[in-house]
Amino acid sequence: MTRSRLRAVALAAVATGSLVAASACGSGFDDSNQGTTQQSSGPASLQIMIGSSGDAETKAVQDAAAAWASSSGNQATVTPAQDLAQQLGQALAGGTPPDVFYVDAARFADYASVGALEPYGENLAGKDAFLPNLRQSFTFDGKLYCAPKDTSTLALAINTDLWKKAGLTDADIPTSWDQLTAVAQKIKAKGTTPMAIGDTRDRIGAFLVQNGGWWVNEDGKQATADTPQNEEALSYVQSLLKQGLAKFPKALDAGWGGEAFGKGKVAMTIEGNWLKGALKADFPDVKYTIKELPAGPKGKGTLSFTQCWGIAAKTKFKDQAVKFVEAMTTADQQMAFAKAFGVMPSRQDAQATYQQQYPEDAAFIAGAQYAQGPVNAPKMDSVLADLDAGLQGLQNGNPKTILQRFDKNAKTALGG
Amino acid sequence: MALATDPRTDRSAAPARPRHRGGGASQRALASRFLGYAILIFFSLVFLYPFVIQIANSFKTEADAAANPLSPVPHPFITDAMVRIFEGTAFPTWLGNSVVVTVVVTLARVLLDSMAGYALSRLRFPGRGLLFAGLIALMAVPPVVLLIPKFLVLNQLGMYNSYAALIVPIMVDAAGVFIMKQFFDSIPASVEEAARIDGAGVFRTFWSVVLPMARPALITLTILSFQGSWNEFPHTVVAVQNPSLFTLPRGLADLVSGSLGAGTQYPLKLGAALLATIPVAIIFVIFQRYFVRGATEGAERG
Amino acid sequence: MTATSAPRMSKGIRGNERSAGWLFVAPVVLILGLFMLLPILMALWVSLTAWNGQGSPFTAGVPFVGADNYTRLFAVDNLARLNFMTSVRNNAYYVLFVVPVQTALALGLALVVNNRLLKGKDFFRTAFYFPSVTSSVAISVVFLFMFTNGGAINEILAAFGIRGPQWFSDPRGVIHLFLDRLGVVDVNAPPAALADHGVFGLTWWDWTSGPSVAMCAIIALVIWTTSGTFMLMFLAALQNVPIQLDEAGMIDGANRWQRFRYITLPQLRPTTFLVITLGLIGTWQVFDQIYVMSQGNPAKTTLTPAYLSYRTAFRDFDYGSGAAISFVLFLIIVLLTVSQRWLMRDRDQPRRRRLSRGRA
Repeated sequence: MTRSRLRAVALAAVATGSLVAASACGSGFDDSNQGTTQQSSGPASLQIMIGSSGDAETKAVQDAAAAWASSSGNQATVTPAQDLAQQLGQALAGGTPPDVFYVDAARFADYASVGALEPYGENLAGKDAFLPNLRQSFTFDGKLYCAPKDTSTLALAINTDLWKKAGLTDADIPTSWDQLTAVAQKIKAKGTTPMAIGDTRDRIGAFLVQNGGWWVNEDGKQATADTPQNEEALSYVQSLLKQGLAKFPKALDAGWGGEAFGKGKVAMTIEGNWLKGALKADFPDVKYTIKELPAGPKGKGTLSFTQCWGIAAKTKFKDQAVKFVEAMTTADQQMAFAKAFGVMPSRQDAQATYQQQYPEDAAFIAGAQYAQGPVNAPKMDSVLADLDAGLQGLQNGNPKTILQRFDKNAKTALGG
Repeated sequence: MALATDPRTDRSAAPARPRHRGGGASQRALASRFLGYAILIFFSLVFLYPFVIQIANSFKTEADAAANPLSPVPHPFITDAMVRIFEGTAFPTWLGNSVVVTVVVTLARVLLDSMAGYALSRLRFPGRGLLFAGLIALMAVPPVVLLIPKFLVLNQLGMYNSYAALIVPIMVDAAGVFIMKQFFDSIPASVEEAARIDGAGVFRTFWSVVLPMARPALITLTILSFQGSWNEFPHTVVAVQNPSLFTLPRGLADLVSGSLGAGTQYPLKLGAALLATIPVAIIFVIFQRYFVRGATEGAERG
Repeated sequence: MTATSAPRMSKGIRGNERSAGWLFVAPVVLILGLFMLLPILMALWVSLTAWNGQGSPFTAGVPFVGADNYTRLFAVDNLARLNFMTSVRNNAYYVLFVVPVQTALALGLALVVNNRLLKGKDFFRTAFYFPSVTSSVAISVVFLFMFTNGGAINEILAAFGIRGPQWFSDPRGVIHLFLDRLGVVDVNAPPAALADHGVFGLTWWDWTSGPSVAMCAIIALVIWTTSGTFMLMFLAALQNVPIQLDEAGMIDGANRWQRFRYITLPQLRPTTFLVITLGLIGTWQVFDQIYVMSQGNPAKTTLTPAYLSYRTAFRDFDYGSGAAISFVLFLIIVLLTVSQRWLMRDRDQPRRRRLSRGRA
């Protein structure tokens, strides 16, 4: 019995060992091929993954892709992701990433630093047509990796009906923090929740900029959250929340500020260009106007967001993918997207056209002049997620603690 | 306490029933019966009313659902949400994938688990004891711990993001093998022995003689496998990320959380959840007995 | 047994059995080995590296960091430890609330359903067990709907004059709120003694927060879902309790509570033990509901180790840390199960063993 028992154990060990060996040499990845993925010319079948802001954007991109596909003889499939960062991460690790995908400026450095992106931007024809500060957001190690697809800024959306109901006129549109508070109190007195503001750094951060501060310094290498200006800014937002003059979307049973605004639950909200497309598609009856955000003690401030068309380093259809991106970033196509879901073009020539055609977006365009871009440093994602968690508790929390915690965590991540 | 003797051997005489002890006792008994029913009915409501809410709100407009969530009657009754589910989301794809995966996995589990259980119970081969011990050890591993590692293995094998990834890793489960082994242990070997003496080979014996005898356990195993694979969720998160491979739970999670679920649209989501629940509900109502048996057999496992 | 004529024939049959035996178990061995054993080994390796998800983790270029991923979770004052400890705290409170309540509820329901005097056993048993059969994702959707600010639960509470909280956006801990109600502390101004000192990266104030209001919604969901399964187990065990025991107790003058405590409960001991064990194992792994309903929000109060492990790996691309977290979780579960077995061990065993040895 013991001999056969021993044999069994030996057999099991051999089996396990061979399993491990087999999988180690498995067909999952082949590292040696990293720079030389087999390129396939001829009709391509491109997989495009986007982080859509809503049905409007999904449809617009799908239509554009279909048009390109039929005119160029290729296939293009557009998939909106439920959680782009997560799904992209899994796809990149799984070795079968989509060929083309959105890359958010905030996470760009993460992808570029691990070699997941193809730096096609350097050789892109007409790369100088894009706005310089946007190009900067997508440059890593001196190389332009990808073409910015559009840009958006935050502005103040006002529901004109609820505004009138509160007895306010155009003259009352707030241009400073104090005026904002006063106006909000008037609206509240009439029984409407004055403002919906998102509970993340991507909305509250605007107030920091208005008070002359920011989470990190100019070159993004040092954390500068714990300053008196930032504390003032956060305290101001906290006072709005505490007095019931502003509420987070979740407290209004909405997924984001735009939904609360569209459902008529609030008179004002701070959102970006995408608000227009979403309102047009889901809440067409809301009458609203867009104004620049009220200035803070140190001046006007807002946030800008941008994404680029990333091409996977492992794609088999590099040339076709580049052609796809070129088609998506022509001035006409950018204007078409702008029309469909309200983002601003990233090309200078298209921006000029945009300004002419959409005077009501003057606030967004003006904001682009003084907007602050997202924190762009590798490995900051969980630090920023922690910051958001802290901001979610801002109403009852301590602003200084939130800022100090960010500084501490960022220091470890930035290595400074 | 006062029970010195083993009650199983003694107490042949019929004990005095409390009801006969007097009027007060029977009133108490009535009161306790009333209380008992009250508790049962209250908890039935607690356990079943959410499903009523689910069904009712699937057929309401968004405004109605937001205003009157508790009401079991939609005002007005619309089937918009249901239509949107089939046309606006990838629901048919999810349904198709779920059916394929569940059918294959259930069949595989029934066959493979019963084969392994039989072998562990009846056939003598070297390493049997070790294997059984290993099986028990594996049963103790919490599935969540395996989430990331399974992804790594699927990656290395090149199986990630395919139907194989959805099906193969869950094609057998240690608990199923254990249940079948327990069952085979409990039936006498005489019939098989007779067949073997008559010259039938091992597989023949298994297929023609043993399996038919194992019907109740097989049915239980089928039911449990069906339910387990239809409702399986964490595995689908790490096995695939191509939306055309999503099963119902994964697609539903997609619909509800994440950026696509930012707007509330509850009738749509509740409707999709309802449709995902119906197959299991039907099977459950018909095959209640076997579900119950499966749960209690799980108890004996401990 | 089938007598002495068998051995001669069985040698031939038995020989066949060996290869047949291995053949029969081969698929199971292969699949379980490949997808349970191998993953554990691979994950162990990855947890000792800082693999970032690009390329194979078995190549030479992957940075080996030894036990760093593990020590970072306990000994280094950084975000990783903060997240991990927060998730452990959340899950611990979750377990503390779910396991006793679901065990007690399951037992209570089983007792009532089993009562000889009440009819309709089958219907009630089905009703209570039904939620356990349905998909956790589908149930999560229903509960998300019920716990919205204007939803079913708040409507019911309003009928009693209570203003329901904003369930999924309220990160405040239940214990804090309770103490606040009693006037002992102020939820918004924690006492300095608790807020300034801490252990493992969390202040004492944070450790004693209790589950958040959002977590309570998930706790309710899980209790609602799993009580039915455990009720079935108790029912089966109750049916094995001989009626004569109970009636003997009645004759001896024991009232209902005494009968329950001294007769029924001890008979149910193995089942209770099993229910608690399964409850502990299950609650420490909560993942589906977090993924669908809250993703760790609000303010990380619904973050659990299982979900954190997933997020660290697939979102932050830090597979090493994610794998380390899952192994620590495994360890926690094993330790708890073992200590629970030890705590609840049958202390009568030695006596019985002596008796049986005596008899033999």
